[in-house]
Amino acid sequence: MEAIVQEVVKPEDLKKFEQRFNEQCLRGQPSATAQFEYAWCLVRSQSPSDLRKGTLLLQELFHKTADETAKRDYLFYLAVGHTRLKEYEKALKYAKAIQQVEPGNHQAREMTAYIEKKMKKEGLIGMAIVGGAAAVAFGALAGLGVALAKK
Amino acid sequence: MMVGPDKVDLKVVLLGREYSGKTALAHRYLLQKFNPHMNYQTTVGAAYGARKFEVDKQTIFMGLWDTAGSERYECMSHVYYHGAWAALVCFELIDRESWLRARHWANEVMTRGDEGCKIYLIGTKADLVTEPGTPRKIEYATAKSYADDIRAKYIETSSKTGQNVEEMYCMIAEDYVADMAKKTKGEN
Repeated sequence: MEAIVQEVVKPEDLKKFEQRFNEQCLRGQPSATAQFEYAWCLVRSQSPSDLRKGTLLLQELFHKTADETAKRDYLFYLAVGHTRLKEYEKALKYAKAIQQVEPGNHQAREMTAYIEKKMKKEGLIGMAIVGGAAAVAFGALAGLGVALAKK
Repeated sequence: MMVGPDKVDLKVVLLGREYSGKTALAHRYLLQKFNPHMNYQTTVGAAYGARKFEVDKQTIFMGLWDTAGSERYECMSHVYYHGAWAALVCFELIDRESWLRARHWANEVMTRGDEGCKIYLIGTKADLVTEPGTPRKIEYATAKSYADDIRAKYIETSSKTGQNVEEMYCMIAEDYVADMAKKTKGEN
């Protein structure tokens, strides 16, 4: 799942699909295909604002369609986008929602496990940073104490 | 051990129409088994897996991209065959539509894929051909002669029985090693 979630869009692809989408927007309502292709590029971008935009476009697609398979695919890429934004709770919600549309979907299962692993790992890393910061702060205070004592 | 896409020696991509058996082939590749109880589900976007092969005492890591065959992903597939050393273009031996799509994919790889990208034409679900109710629609000779025309190899497989599947992957790994050896020789 790492390979799928962490894959980065090529700038020329992002540009190409963005143009196609924008042209359609100018002429009226963009097609679901053009919107999906553009959103699929955006959620594979490294820029948080692109990721955000991608998830919004996917949400819109999700609400507009009655096609269950399309819904499933939108949910999958919503999970990808939110994972990349490190919004794991949301990502997990979407990954789990796929199971409701299509019970036993193995890609959704893998995605869920992947996000949970990320949460666990980064949760610990987060604590380590806080711990490290506390140690630095304590060190600074101790240093201050030494400095004061010397006076 | 999972090897990331940027660390494998060769990238291989599965292409073909929906329901042509790409995921079952990928499943066989990774787990060396077929799950008859698995419900058919179309692939979302793409899936990736890597495996190790031993060829002439050399270790080769092959990364396999299984792509979604549905039309929703039509324009996106070039992302997956870009940089591929080989494309496995799949069709069902019992379905003419999928055969026509396979020819379309082969063309696509030849015109838009990387230069020198090898094509393996794969006739899938070979086990069904001998069963009543699912007659063969594409003759071996037809597929073989098309494959010869486009300088592709042609293999008939069954992910259900395992027929030719392991042989196919090993052959690809061997072809890759031979190709690399030829290229190195050419450079010297």
